[in-house]
Amino acid sequence: MIKKKVTIKNDAGLHARPASALVKLASKFESDFYIHMYGYKVNGKSILGVMTLAAEKGAELELELDGPDEQEAVESIVELIDSGFGEVYKNENE
Amino acid sequence: MSSESNKHEFILSGTPGSPGIVIGKTSLYRRNRPIVSNVRIDEEGIRKQIADFHEARTRAEKELKQMLDAQSDGSAEELIQTQIEMINDPDLCNRVEEEISEHNQHADSAIQKVFEQYLDMIKQNHEEMFHERSVDIADTRDRLIQILHNHEADEVKQGTILVARELSPREVIEFSDRNIKGIIVDRGGTTSHAAIIARAMNIPMIVGLKNVTKILAADKQVILDGQTGKVIINPGESTLEQYKDLIAQQVQAETNFQAICEQPNTTLDGKSFILRANIEFAEELSMVQKYRAEGIGLLRTESVYLRQEHFGGQKKQQSLYRSVAEVINPQPVIIRLFDAGGDKFFSGSKKEQNPFLGWRGIRMLLDNEGLLKDQLRAILKTAAHIQGCIRILVPMISTIDQLLRVKELMNLVQQELTDSGLEVDDHVQLGIMIEVPNVALQADFFAQHADFLSIGTNDLTQYVLAVDRGNERISTLYDQRHPAIWQLINQVAEAGRGNNIPVSVCGELAADPISACCLMGMGIDELSMSPTVLPTVKQQLRSNTLSDMKELSNKVLASNTVEEINQLFMNWNTTETKTKN
Repeated sequence: MIKKKVTIKNDAGLHARPASALVKLASKFESDFYIHMYGYKVNGKSILGVMTLAAEKGAELELELDGPDEQEAVESIVELIDSGFGEVYKNENE
Repeated sequence: MSSESNKHEFILSGTPGSPGIVIGKTSLYRRNRPIVSNVRIDEEGIRKQIADFHEARTRAEKELKQMLDAQSDGSAEELIQTQIEMINDPDLCNRVEEEISEHNQHADSAIQKVFEQYLDMIKQNHEEMFHERSVDIADTRDRLIQILHNHEADEVKQGTILVARELSPREVIEFSDRNIKGIIVDRGGTTSHAAIIARAMNIPMIVGLKNVTKILAADKQVILDGQTGKVIINPGESTLEQYKDLIAQQVQAETNFQAICEQPNTTLDGKSFILRANIEFAEELSMVQKYRAEGIGLLRTESVYLRQEHFGGQKKQQSLYRSVAEVINPQPVIIRLFDAGGDKFFSGSKKEQNPFLGWRGIRMLLDNEGLLKDQLRAILKTAAHIQGCIRILVPMISTIDQLLRVKELMNLVQQELTDSGLEVDDHVQLGIMIEVPNVALQADFFAQHADFLSIGTNDLTQYVLAVDRGNERISTLYDQRHPAIWQLINQVAEAGRGNNIPVSVCGELAADPISACCLMGMGIDELSMSPTVLPTVKQQLRSNTLSDMKELSNKVLASNTVEEINQLFMNWNTTETKTKN
């Protein structure tokens, strides 16, 4: 099992679109994936779980991975979060 | 005998939501209400409930995929995509299955409970943003439960009268496919979106019956009188006969309406007038065309924004404006800028003590120029594509600076569109709503800076008479026929003439046939109203002469009380009918 702390960097936080990207990526791996935040623990392969965390920019998460491909999984997930989900956020009204 | 006494005739009174009289059997419709059953379901039941849950998911997914195919807007696509992911969420599936099998629950209550857990968590973490964060999740829940209910027992039968607590516009449209005869709801008012759609689709409706869903059972025979707002339950033979006659008359009237609409818009002595329609949804266009309105005098834009908040506002707006303009062009489409209070747009904004005197209409828009410019952009882009028909109406103007600022922003957006290579419509007119009393009093001044004036009598009346039109206790004080209102209207009409700009009336006053004649008498020959009342008003205008209307308006202007005016109107109507006979 691997545990790893990360900070949300993108402005929108873990809202719908980034949450969806995270879940999609995590679901590619066999390992179980949980996210700890505010003392909560949610399934990182569950869009509803991730959305209910609704982590804002600056929020600290602890990722927990457990399974055969945990190393590879944690690297990919951290990369996605650190890249701010690779999204350039436009004006909300656009 | 005792069963007969259960069947005695009785009447419930509500508010007419959409006109028309129908007789039929009731169907009950419940939305988002899980059937909380204490009956423990057995093993067989568990399997069935789990199967039902997955079937509901499959159906919801199919629906969403269809929506996705019909969708060209990027952010809408993403939102639908996210909902599809929610429906296929493995965690959701596990939890619901667990809830069903371990607590012997029905699928709908299991869904309700599991979503409650998700929503509670958001609430705890993000109370201030709860609504914004949870709306898509709640919508997914509602959709699943709704599908389950329709699936479990399709209580709404073809050709029945639908009884519900409340309905969304989408539900009205959905049920109209089942040829429902009429709608009766506990909640809602005449101006609720569902009522507007019901009128547009010609489905008689009664709103505000408070607890009709508790009183009325399914399969009861009722008469729904959309004219008076009455629901007659278990009607006796004589009542039925009476209403069958009324229905026959109604059918005749509808035929007459068609004939009237084909006649030219002229008074008995040949003076022409313009009748336009107030609408809010593209679904209302069929009515507009049927009754031959000469354009849209008021296109309300609040709902498109409020309902589509999460769908990338501008493109959705544009598609409404465009679909209306395409049908109505070359006749004018007058688009009113968002006319809502700030609380409708910003979930965090404070509740106001006097919202009608508060941060609404142009006051709110000018504090949020991004929002305003987005709307102007959507309107002006539409105008560039369909040139010559679009006009812009600014609500809640109370200072000249507000109008000048909108003009500046409009020019800015036009320039921006020109720079992006669009050939803009240089003649988009900018008009103002006259609803704040100081503007009516200073109409001549404001008219110098506006391309047209539109009198909104609904709000003008409540401001002039200091009567909240939603407050039932003082509702008798609210009367648009009040002499002070007529005097202000006359003043505005003169200001329009003096500055050579058109003046129209788009409030309920215009929909009152004799008041419409009186407005004509004051020189206001452009009236806009709900499409359903167009034939009635037209008939009244066509069967009188302009000189009689002028005489009427002079008498009205010399009146001191509403009673005097009502008297004048009553007598005027009868003498006219007499001379005709």
